[in-house]
Amino acid sequence: MVMDAGAVLSTFSTRFLGIFIEAVSFLLLGTIISGLIEVFVSNDDIARIMPRNPIAATIAGSMLGFVFPVCECGVVPVTRRLFQKGLPVSVGITFLLAAPVMNPIVMASTYAAFGWGPVLIGRYVISWVMAIIVGLLFSLQNRPQRIVKPDALAAIAGGSSSAAPAIRMTRAPLLPGLKRALQLAGEEFFEMGRFLIIGAFLATVMQTLVPQDALKALATNPVNSVLVMAALAFVLSVCSTVDAFLALSFARAFTTGSILTFLTFGPMVDIKSTMMYLGVFKRRTVLYMVILPLLISVLVGIWLNLNVRF
Amino acid sequence: MRTRQWIQSVLLLFLGLYMLDNMLTGRIWLYINERFGWLSWIGTGILLAIGVIGVLDLLRGGREEHDHEHHEHAHAHEHGHDHGTAPSWPKLALVGLPLVMGILIPARPLGASAIGSSGVSTHFSAIQGTGSSTQLAVAPTERNVLDWVRAFNGSNNVQEFSGQQADLIGFVYRDIRFKDASQFMVARFTISCCVADATALGVIVQWPDAPRLAQDSWVHVRGKFQVQNFDSQQTPILVAETVEPTSQPEHPYLYP
Repeated sequence: MVMDAGAVLSTFSTRFLGIFIEAVSFLLLGTIISGLIEVFVSNDDIARIMPRNPIAATIAGSMLGFVFPVCECGVVPVTRRLFQKGLPVSVGITFLLAAPVMNPIVMASTYAAFGWGPVLIGRYVISWVMAIIVGLLFSLQNRPQRIVKPDALAAIAGGSSSAAPAIRMTRAPLLPGLKRALQLAGEEFFEMGRFLIIGAFLATVMQTLVPQDALKALATNPVNSVLVMAALAFVLSVCSTVDAFLALSFARAFTTGSILTFLTFGPMVDIKSTMMYLGVFKRRTVLYMVILPLLISVLVGIWLNLNVRF
Repeated sequence: MRTRQWIQSVLLLFLGLYMLDNMLTGRIWLYINERFGWLSWIGTGILLAIGVIGVLDLLRGGREEHDHEHHEHAHAHEHGHDHGTAPSWPKLALVGLPLVMGILIPARPLGASAIGSSGVSTHFSAIQGTGSSTQLAVAPTERNVLDWVRAFNGSNNVQEFSGQQADLIGFVYRDIRFKDASQFMVARFTISCCVADATALGVIVQWPDAPRLAQDSWVHVRGKFQVQNFDSQQTPILVAETVEPTSQPEHPYLYP
């Protein structure tokens, strides 16, 4: 079939703008929350709330999504801000990986799509365990500057760690504080937005080049279906708040293990979130943050397909 | 520095205006599921608020002085930071990209050219599951393409659809499986989140004047189903009584 260049360009533009417009509101909410944290939450607050014990702190980090309900776009600026406020790196990574699933909005949408059953329970148990395992592995590395980019550790303010907001003793007054939060959100939008845009662009290129029908042919094989759904989750880059509805459309055709892989791996890692991680973490860290969840979720998915009857 | 601060604020403002325009004209429904309209309103509001605050500050002679007036005691350390902050040129260019694409490339919903080489499925494994009970609640003449596809899917015996009336709106789609020139598909895309997850669905239509219908044009089809052989499958085919050209609906996609 001959396709004219105009139609291809307009399809490309529609897909790209679709991903961007859908995600940009979530990113903006994330940058606003991040701005509010910067202005109204002090380092002391973080230190007071976080348990001293690394395992307890990691578990607390996995639940932080219920305090800051953000998806995988919004969670990145929030995590970056929490690092600057002195949140331990491993706890932040657990938060980053867990929050896109462990939050009330996603819980509601998963329940709406699948109801109470193996998919809902499996999604939460697997995501929670995965995020904690990966976070604890990073807690073995006790030099944060080897994990996180320097400008995400040192406060943006002042540009050097010596000028970190620890100096601030009093909270900002409400109105100027809100205005300051909006200004910070604007700056952060440019910082994080570019990764979202590169990610949305790559996801669109992949969708244009890789035919999904070819992938669907592998739907019922216990091993291949899991690999296909992991690949789809990565390529589609759908927001975690709605991926349950998308997974539902695959649920009859695909094995349950592969649906769980889609619902646990996708929120943690996809093209656009990987690009955004690169704005906060060192490249090698990002590699681990992609490979560890991939390995765990794929192995769990295959194991479930082979051993559990749903 | 100052130029880049201006571009930053104006870019945010224009992104906000672009989103506002999308919301007001309904063009937003070419991109996302209706369910997320409220979220896009919030995003639009945030963009406009950040943009307006930035522009006002620059008009008043720079945000650093303005900040200074308000919290010199608490924010002294951030003072230097404000002097030195503006996104670099590459960041500005990247964030400008969606705006440029949105303005320069005419907005069109996904159409036939967005459907892969293997065509629109008539067996709809892609759409099973969701609300399989809801199609029973919809009266046959009220059913849209998605409702019919679900009904066919949930049925063990497609013969039951023989003789049923249908009234459908969709775009014209044909691929290599359409060997009979009097047949085409009235197709729709379904999206659950945004166009990134679009899936095409369709009902096959038989109409003697079909060759006159251009690919991708929107049509309103009324007729009765007849089970026939299509692509070596027993398939309900809508034998059209009338096929009228129609304008593209305000919501071109269906929401499962």
